[in-house]
Amino acid sequence: MSEQVSQLLESLREKAGKGDLLYIGESIVRVDSLEKVLGKPVYTADLIPKGTVYAKLFHSSIPHGMIKRMELGVAKAHPGVLGVLTWRDIPGLNESSAILPDRQLFADSIVRSTADIMGAVVAETQPAASEAVAKVKVDYEPLPAIFDPLEALKPDAIKLHPKGNIARQMKIRKGNVEEGFSKSDVVLEKTYRTQFQDATPLEPEMGLAMPEDGGVKVIGSMQSPHHTQAAVAKVLKLPPEKVRVIQAVTGGAFGPKSDETPFDVCSTAALAAMKYRRPVFCGLDREESMVMHTKRHPFVISHKTGVTSDGMLMADESRIVGDTGAYASLGVFVIVRATFHTVGAYEVPNVKADSFLVYTDNTYTGSLRGFGGPQAIFAMESQMEELARKLGIDPLEFRMKNMLVPGKKNATSAVMDSSCGLPQCVEKVVASSDYRRKAPLYGKQRGGLRRGLGIALLMHGNSLGPEGNDYGAVHMEIHSDGTVSVGTGLTEYGTGAISGMMQVASSILGVPLARFKLERPDTSKHRESGPTVASRVVVIGGNASMIAAQKLKAKLVPLAAEMMKADADDVSIADGVAFKLSKPSVSVKWDDLVAEAYRKGVDLKDDGFFMAPAAPWDTEVGQGTPYVQYTWGALIAEVEVDTETGYYRVLGVHAAYDVGKAVNPGGVLGQIYGGTVQGLGYAMMEELLHKDGQVVNPNLGDYYIPTSMDIPAEFKAFIVEVPGPLGPFGAKIIAEPPIVLPGPAIRNAVLNATGVSVDDLPVTSEKVLMGSPKKVSTSR
Amino acid sequence: MTINVNGAERSFQVDPLDRLIDVLRDQVGMKSVKEGCGTGDCGICAILVDGKLVNSCLMLAAQCDGRRVLTLEGLLGDPDMKRIQESFVVNNAAQCGFCTPAMLMASWDLARHSPKPTPDEIKVAISGILCRCTGYYQIIDSVHQACGEGAK
Amino acid sequence: MSSLELFSPTNLDDALNFMLREDKGVAVIASGTDLIPRIRKKQVSPSVLVDISSFQNDLRYIRESGGTLRVGALTTLTDVLESPLMRDKLSALHEAAEIFGAPQVRNVATVGGNICSAASSEDLIPVFMALGAQLKLVSAKGERTVPLEGFLKGKRATKMKPSEILAEVSFEVPKGRSWTGFEKLGRRNMLIISLVSMALSLSMKDDLQTIAGARIAMNRVSDRIPALAVKTQDFLVGKRVTTETIAQAQKILGSELALTSDFRASGSYRTEVAQVYLKRLLLRCSGRIRGSG
Repeated sequence: MSEQVSQLLESLREKAGKGDLLYIGESIVRVDSLEKVLGKPVYTADLIPKGTVYAKLFHSSIPHGMIKRMELGVAKAHPGVLGVLTWRDIPGLNESSAILPDRQLFADSIVRSTADIMGAVVAETQPAASEAVAKVKVDYEPLPAIFDPLEALKPDAIKLHPKGNIARQMKIRKGNVEEGFSKSDVVLEKTYRTQFQDATPLEPEMGLAMPEDGGVKVIGSMQSPHHTQAAVAKVLKLPPEKVRVIQAVTGGAFGPKSDETPFDVCSTAALAAMKYRRPVFCGLDREESMVMHTKRHPFVISHKTGVTSDGMLMADESRIVGDTGAYASLGVFVIVRATFHTVGAYEVPNVKADSFLVYTDNTYTGSLRGFGGPQAIFAMESQMEELARKLGIDPLEFRMKNMLVPGKKNATSAVMDSSCGLPQCVEKVVASSDYRRKAPLYGKQRGGLRRGLGIALLMHGNSLGPEGNDYGAVHMEIHSDGTVSVGTGLTEYGTGAISGMMQVASSILGVPLARFKLERPDTSKHRESGPTVASRVVVIGGNASMIAAQKLKAKLVPLAAEMMKADADDVSIADGVAFKLSKPSVSVKWDDLVAEAYRKGVDLKDDGFFMAPAAPWDTEVGQGTPYVQYTWGALIAEVEVDTETGYYRVLGVHAAYDVGKAVNPGGVLGQIYGGTVQGLGYAMMEELLHKDGQVVNPNLGDYYIPTSMDIPAEFKAFIVEVPGPLGPFGAKIIAEPPIVLPGPAIRNAVLNATGVSVDDLPVTSEKVLMGSPKKVSTSR
Repeated sequence: MTINVNGAERSFQVDPLDRLIDVLRDQVGMKSVKEGCGTGDCGICAILVDGKLVNSCLMLAAQCDGRRVLTLEGLLGDPDMKRIQESFVVNNAAQCGFCTPAMLMASWDLARHSPKPTPDEIKVAISGILCRCTGYYQIIDSVHQACGEGAK
Repeated sequence: MSSLELFSPTNLDDALNFMLREDKGVAVIASGTDLIPRIRKKQVSPSVLVDISSFQNDLRYIRESGGTLRVGALTTLTDVLESPLMRDKLSALHEAAEIFGAPQVRNVATVGGNICSAASSEDLIPVFMALGAQLKLVSAKGERTVPLEGFLKGKRATKMKPSEILAEVSFEVPKGRSWTGFEKLGRRNMLIISLVSMALSLSMKDDLQTIAGARIAMNRVSDRIPALAVKTQDFLVGKRVTTETIAQAQKILGSELALTSDFRASGSYRTEVAQVYLKRLLLRCSGRIRGSG
C-alpha cells in the first residue's frame, strides 16, 4: 500500500470518528458567497423585466388626523401615469399588519403617523411616478397628537386607538420585593432611556409583482415569504395558492423586513399588477424606507433596586415603557422579551416588573436585532454600575457575585442548568482586557485624557420562546448528478445562517457543502417554515435540516452496505466517499452511490420538520420557562475620553459569547463583529429623531452609522462552547446577541473614565461633557 | 454622448439629470452597481471613472462624455481582482453582499496604488462605503491577506 | 422628463459669454456633489446648468508663484491631499482635507464648489478663511479679486454675480513666524457633518512671543455661516499666549459667537467646544512657531 493511499485511509477513519460532527466547527465557504463577490444580478431591483411599471407610495404628511379629501386628478393626469391606487382599489381586506389587526394598507379615514401609507401612484417610469406623487393633494382635519409614551399613559390622554393607548401589558411577580427592599442596605432608583434606532439595511425594501396563472407572482426583499404571501392574499382576496412569493437575494434586513413593510410594497405591487396586467415594481428609496419601516422601540425604564452592603442583589422593581408608535407591529413580542430580560444576567430573588407597550403618533416601531433585549440590558447594566459605585465595590466583582451560574434562577424563576456558559465568557474577557490590572490604574488617572473600562453581561433567551410555535421545515433532495438541493421557507439575508443550516446536513450526509445548492425560498415549492427572525435558523432550521439529512442517509446507508458487501453499521460516509469503517479501502464514491439509488428507484427526497418544545410560563406573573435555552455573553469596552470636549474613542472591545457549538466559526465571528459594530452605532451615534411626529433625519447624511474609521482598533472576540439542549450539536443562537452589550459597556466605560453617568442613549460627546439633557427622574 | 464602459465604447441619449448609476444599470445592464441611498452618503454605488473611485449616484451621465468607466463586471477576468474576491469568500467578507461590489472596487483601486496596504490604509480606502453586516473587520482582513501582507 | 438643460461649453470664454447673456435660472456645475442632491430634493430649481467640469487645463492646478499659492477652482480635494506643496506650505488645509467627506467625495469635490456652496456645514471654508483666501471671480466683462470673508452673505448665499465664475483661490504662503491649525468635531470619524470646526492662523512678532495677528474662522458663527471671530482676533493682537490671555480670549469668543442649536447639538455645547479648540489651537500654533524659529 502506498504512503498516499494509507494516509487517505487514515484520514477517512479519522473523519468517520467525528460522526455527524464531520464538518461542524469548520469555517465554510458560504453557498451564496460566489454570486455576491461576482456582483451577479440577484437582488430584486436587478430582476426588473422590460415593460415593468412603477408604483410609488405616498404617505401622510401629518401625524394624526382625519382624511377629509384626497385630490388625485392632477396626479392621474401627469404624463406616464396609469393610475393612482387607494383603499377603494382593494378587493380584499384593507389590512397590512403583522400581529394585531390595527393597521391598514392604505389609510381610508384616519392617519396615525407620518409613516401611514395613503396610496400609490402607478406610472410607466420611476421618475414619472415620483413626480406625480408630488401632485397628490390631501386635505386633513388634524387631531391632537401624542409623541411621548409617558403622556399617552396618563389617564386623561386622548385615545389613539379604539381600545386605548396600551397595546400590551406584562408583569413579573417573583418573590416579594417589599420584603427584599426591607432586607437591603442600599436602595437605588434611576430611570434610563433609549432612542429610536434605524436598522439601515443597505438595500431598502422593494417588491416586484407580475400576473401569473390567474394570480400573481411576487419577488421581493424580505425575511418571511410565507407571511408576505398571507398578507398579499388577504389584500387581493385570492387564495394563498394563487399568490406565489419568492424571496430574492436580500441585501440586509435586521428586523424591519419581517414586519409590515414587505407586505406594503408587495401588496401594492401585486394590486397594481392585477389591475394593470403588467409587471410592477414598488420600491422605497432610503428616505422612504427610514420613514416607513419599523424602528427599534425607544424605552423608558425605571429601576428601583435593593442590595446589601456586601453586594448581594435583594430586590428589583422595574417599570418598562416602550413606544410602539402608531401601530403595535411586533411590539407585542418586543415588550415580552424586554420584560423577561429586565434584570439581565443576574439572580435577583425578588423581582417585580410592570411593562407597557404604548401607542403614540410617532412612526411605528417593531422588530430590530435584539428585539427589546438591548433596551432592557442597557437599563439593568447601567443600574448595576451605579449600584457598584454606590457600594464602593469593583463593578466586575459585584457582577460576578450576582451573575447567573448553573443552579441559580433568573427573573422568571427558570433554573439555569449546566449549559450556562456565562462564567466562562466573563473569564475570557477579563483576561483579554487586562481588566484587573487596568481598572485600579484608571481609577487613579489625572489629566484631560481619561481612560475607562466598562463591563456588561448578557443573558439572551433563545428563539421565539414565548412568542408562539417555534418550528422549521426543510426539504432536501439528492439529484442524479450527486448535488443536494435544500429548499426552505427560512431565508438568508446576510447572516450566513442558511449556509450554517446546510452545513449541518452536509455533515450528516458526509458530503462537502460545495455539492449543495440552495433553492430560492418560494411559497409554491417550500412549506411554511416560520419567520426568519429571532436568530433561529441554525437552531431550529438546523434541527429540521438534520432530520431531513438523517432520513436521506437512512436510505443510502443500506444501499452502500449492499454495494460494499458490508454490514450497515460498518458503513461511514465522509468527503463524498462511502466506505467500510473496518476496511476503508473498500469504498464507493458518492456519485456512484447516488446513481445506484436512482437505478433502484430509491426516492432521494425528504422533508425535515422540527418544532421546539413548548416554553410554558404563567402569563399572570411572568414565571416559568419561556425560553428553552439561553445564549450568554460578556463584553468589556475600553474608552479614552477627551474630558474637555466629551469626545471619546472606543480603544478596544473584548467580547465572548457562549454559542453552545459554533457550527461555522467564521460565520459566528462575522455575526459578532457585525453585531458589535451595529451595537456601537446604537451606543455612540445613532438616533432617528422625530419632531412633532415628522422624522427629522431620514437619510444617511444625518443618521450616522459607523464607518470603517469608527471601529475599535482592538477587537478580541471569543467563542465559548457550552452545549445547550435545543440546537444541533448543542448550538445556540448568535445573530442578535452581539448588538446588545456595546451600549451599556461603553456607557459604563465612560462613567468609569469621567464620573459622568449618561442615562440615555446614544452616549454622545455632548452628553459626556454637559450631562444628559433629560432629567433623570424617579417618578413612576 | 459616448462613455467607455468596461472597455467598450457606448453611445447614449441622456437627459441632463440622468444619473450615471441609472445609465449603467438600465442601459448597459451593469447590475453590480447598487443604490443604497441616492444622496452620496453610503458609497454603495462606488465605481471607477477615469481611474478614480466615485459615487455613481451623484454623477450626471451627461458629464461623463468621453470618460472611462470601470465596474466590477469589467474586472471579472482581472487576476488582482480575482485574488481579492477569493479572499473575500474565504474570509467571510460578503454577508448580505450589497456593499461587496463597492468594497471590491475600492480595494482593487487601493491595491493598484499601494500594493501591500496596511490595515489602516485599507480602512481609509473603504471609509466612504458603509457596511451594516460585517463590522468591516473581515473585509479588512480579506484585503490585507489578498495583498500579500498576509499575517493575521 | 425635467425641463432642465445642460450646457456644456468647450471653453471658458463660451461659458462666460453665455452667463453674461442669461442672467436668470443659471447654475454652474462642477462635480455636482452638492448641487445635484439639492436639485433632486427641489431645494433649488435652475433652468440651465453650465457645466464647467471639462475646463481642467484652465481651472485645475496648484502652483506657487512669488509667495502666493494659487489653486484653480476645479482642483479636487484629492488633488489637495496629494499635493506636496499643500502638505508643506498649507498643512492645515491638508489636515482638513484628510477628514473631509470620504475618498469618493474627495475625488470629485472641488475647492471652488466648496466655497460657492457656502453651506454652513462646510468645514473647509473656515480653513480657507483663516488662511486669508482670496477669490478670483471672472466674467465676460473682466475679473475681480475679493477676500473670502465678506464673500458669504448668508445661508448658501454669496456675493457672486450671476455672470461670474469662481476661477481661482489664492493664499499668501505663510511666513516663518506663522502657523495655521485646524480642529473639527463630529459624531463619527468619516463622512462627518461637523458640529464645530475651527481654524486659527496665528502670526507672531519677531520675538516669537507676542501675537502679531490672528485669524480665527469657524463654521456656523452667526446667521449660521462661516465667519471670522473679529473681536477675539482684535483682543489677541499684542498679547502673549499665557493662561490669562487664553482665558480672556475664550470669554470674548463665547460672547462673540452666536452658535445655534439644532437637532445635532446645542449652541452652548458648540460654544464650549469652540472655546476649548481656541485654547488648543493657540497653544499648538504658538508652540510650532517658537519651535521652528
